[in-house]
Amino acid sequence: MRASAQTRQRWVILAVAVAVLVVSLALHSAYYQLVLTQVLLWAVLSLAWNILSGYSGYFSFGHAAFWGLGAYTVALGMIYWDLPPWVGIPLGAVVGGIAGAIIGYPTFRLRGHYFALAMLAYPLATLYVFQWLGYQEISLPMRRDAPILYMQFTDPRAYVVLALGLLVIALVVSLHVENSRFGMALRAIKQNEPAAEAAGIPTWAWKMRAIMLSGALAGMAGGLYAVVLLVVTPESVFGMLVSAQPLILALFGGVGTLWGPVIGAAVLVPLAEGLNGELGDVLPGIQGVVYGVAIIVIILCAPEGLYWRLRDRFAKPGVLRIIEDEPRPTMPVKPAALLRPPSGGNLLVLRGVGISFGGLRALDDIDLVVREGSLHGIIGPNGAGKTTLFNVVNGFLAPDRGSISFTGIPLAGLRPSRVCRLGIGRTFQVVRAFSRMTVLDNVIVGAFVGARDDVSAERMARVALDRVGLIDRAGAVAGGLTTRELRLMELARALAPLPRLLLLDETLAGLGQEDLAGILNVIRQIRDEGVTVLIIEHTMQAMVRLVDEFSVLDHGRLIAAGAPDEIVRDRRVIEAYLGRRWMDRITDTAA
Amino acid sequence: MNRGPTRREVGVGLALAGGVGLRWRPAAAQTKEVRVAMIAPLSGPWARQGQLMRMGADMAIEEINQKGGIQALGGAKLVLVVADAGDSTEKAKNAAQRLLAQDPDLVGGTGAWLSSFTLAVTEVTERMQLPILTLSYSDLITGRGFKYVFQTSPTAGHQAAETLPTALKLAEGATGKRPKTVGILMDNTAAPTSFAKPLREGGLEKLGLKLVVDQVFTPPLSDATPLIEKVRSARPDFLLLLLSAMPDNKLVLEKLDEFKLSKGRLPLVGNGSPLGTPELKNTIGADLLEGLLFSVADWPFKGDEEIVERFKKRTNEPWMTQDGITAYGDMWILKEAVERAGAADRLKVADALRTMNLTTGPAALSFPGPIQFDGNGRRVDVPMIFAQWQNGVPVTVFPPELALAKPYWLKEA
Repeated sequence: MRASAQTRQRWVILAVAVAVLVVSLALHSAYYQLVLTQVLLWAVLSLAWNILSGYSGYFSFGHAAFWGLGAYTVALGMIYWDLPPWVGIPLGAVVGGIAGAIIGYPTFRLRGHYFALAMLAYPLATLYVFQWLGYQEISLPMRRDAPILYMQFTDPRAYVVLALGLLVIALVVSLHVENSRFGMALRAIKQNEPAAEAAGIPTWAWKMRAIMLSGALAGMAGGLYAVVLLVVTPESVFGMLVSAQPLILALFGGVGTLWGPVIGAAVLVPLAEGLNGELGDVLPGIQGVVYGVAIIVIILCAPEGLYWRLRDRFAKPGVLRIIEDEPRPTMPVKPAALLRPPSGGNLLVLRGVGISFGGLRALDDIDLVVREGSLHGIIGPNGAGKTTLFNVVNGFLAPDRGSISFTGIPLAGLRPSRVCRLGIGRTFQVVRAFSRMTVLDNVIVGAFVGARDDVSAERMARVALDRVGLIDRAGAVAGGLTTRELRLMELARALAPLPRLLLLDETLAGLGQEDLAGILNVIRQIRDEGVTVLIIEHTMQAMVRLVDEFSVLDHGRLIAAGAPDEIVRDRRVIEAYLGRRWMDRITDTAA
Repeated sequence: MNRGPTRREVGVGLALAGGVGLRWRPAAAQTKEVRVAMIAPLSGPWARQGQLMRMGADMAIEEINQKGGIQALGGAKLVLVVADAGDSTEKAKNAAQRLLAQDPDLVGGTGAWLSSFTLAVTEVTERMQLPILTLSYSDLITGRGFKYVFQTSPTAGHQAAETLPTALKLAEGATGKRPKTVGILMDNTAAPTSFAKPLREGGLEKLGLKLVVDQVFTPPLSDATPLIEKVRSARPDFLLLLLSAMPDNKLVLEKLDEFKLSKGRLPLVGNGSPLGTPELKNTIGADLLEGLLFSVADWPFKGDEEIVERFKKRTNEPWMTQDGITAYGDMWILKEAVERAGAADRLKVADALRTMNLTTGPAALSFPGPIQFDGNGRRVDVPMIFAQWQNGVPVTVFPPELALAKPYWLKEA
């Protein structure tokens, strides 16, 4: 499905490229050619912005930094080293990529608005640096001796072709990102970063790759911009307007889509320029007002961008049907865990684990052993520290004291994605779904950890969906699922990479009797297939029917451990759950 | 030219629909007219300067046509085509490209006020061989070996080199004594930095000046007291003020007044036409500006009184600044060039500009020195003009043959 969509998109890119060439040949005015070139260049910048901000949700207000560095690389290279733009523009891409790494490294510590604001600072700071260096106004020297080598063509169509070349590169790169685990990882990060990390996505690494790729594309386009404009000033390449442009174009056309930025550029750039031409000498300044009003009107009519609006109107409802047509995985690949006979040895071992939040000891001196192949329950009243225990095991929190080892490997200090990679999957108390992705894509994100390539990831995801009985809903969008389906989907996501240990955080919460029975069966089946399960629950009743072994937490301490029938009679457990007075009544009745 | 509002509305509609509407224009050939361009910022932060240029250019065009148009072409009318350079180099370049595409008959033009805009605009006009006059200062404009750009202002480098020697001559003429010491008070932005660099690197010594106080700050200034205290204790013969932001100017002048150093008690010398705008007076007040001297590329001088009067009447501006007078003069230069070329042909007009040497007429009255360009398109033999704020108006006070008032250097309280 994915591969065929990608092929179709490649044809669309080719068709658009041919159309631009035809338009360019048909236009005789050098002015129209110039505007067309600018449309293409701004579209490339907007696509570059989209790779980072559109897919991952990390909004950048600072893409002028990359654009400007590309422009200055070409201009200064030509002035000081006679560097032809044929070398300068790729070099601009390299500089943009490196800048992406340098900017991303400190800035990805921030999220949301803070990230956006921090990004704003980079082009503004660079602007002053270039002023201070004395590059207020630099002009690309006219090279009549070697016009082709220095990209100084007399026919303006040559610039259209060059800019079109960059656009095709940007589109193909974006298409590849969108349809690979790269894009899937970024979309997962956008929708729920902790869930992505817990599902084994090395979020930091993907974000760094995204900003470097984005910076490289922006630097490349900025380089050609310098060649087209011939004059480079800090304001014209690092200015606020440059940073705002890709954002406006993408928001207008459709954020996080392949064609949104292109649509935005194709509409807004000529619109602004046309208004300047028509109104600039009549009512100076009115063009800005009309431009602003046009944007407001279109955003109000199509708040998610023009792309979705157009697609809703014209496109055939294709995606869902294709998925439904997909045959069920006829021969489920045997989960690797099945091939490993449960050894009964110690899989997960906690020794003296403790963690405090200020004065509160959330976990205190926990010793816990989970045997391979067991179904181990952790119970305790609200606030006992159950979820904290999971967070410590899967790497969301680092314990203050004690040691944790999994198959003998110490887990201390590992990021959640690394822990997941070792073979520990988890679900969350409140389901963390990637709500705008399909069920299948949600599970594919989880499968990447254990998959060699994207094709096998999809196969593993289908197997996992089949195991939990949700394969019929593979094409549905996660946002529309029932609680039961969401729980199962999250279970499938954790199960997809074939973990050895599953951490299930209140998977049974909020379910009706019927749903409950179904999920209990699924969990038992998973255990029977050889996956060790550690499950948190505070409703004792369901757990007694399910687990082999209990550990009971209260106020961060492990107060009891053992088989279910022992635990339900344990005085400390009853006291913790029901209070001392209840305990006394039980003792009286017995007496 | 007949451009009805209906057509414009249609054009706007087209533009809104996402297309770029080039304005349809009836063929110019049968009506006798010669078309010249003005590309200037009419919107954005520099809109005011562009509007002042347009006022000056409009006035010149009207006068030229009233007096019978281009005589060499049988009284052809001169027509001004205006394009908005907006607020970015990209927009300025687009405006130039658009003008040249929709108006193939243009013979010359003027633009684009801001140096970086002019650089971008002339990249287009050079390739299309359209002669362009400019008031922008940057040395780079005429330092690229271009053949079709003509800079009517002395370059920034020339102004930096000439301001102090001229100020010394002015002081000597006014007081009979040559100043011995100088102070510099400046912000660290680009223009002041490049202005002061050659002075610190031996320029002052050559002029026999001792630098007794040298204060550089990063704008914006929050309090000028420590700076002015240093100036007061060093007590230079005069102070070179190189400030680029209006609020900093205000703070410094207020503090100088508080320390009883204003109103000519400590001579103040600056550079650039922004020091002589009506807006400066509105913000800072005539009182604090009194006595401030500034060097400038062009300012109305002796012989321009009539032009200035007409301009004030037409526009209700309190006085005429560099922007108005140069745009006015540029139109007259272009008119003269077309007369000499004898044809509405941009190559011939460019040739005429290269060979002209005007010393009389409205064009020559609009600029100090003769209208004559060297091979790079820079004017030769241009004296540095000094204007001084006197009674709430900046008037030309130097050189004496152009002065509208006598300068004063020191005024004892």
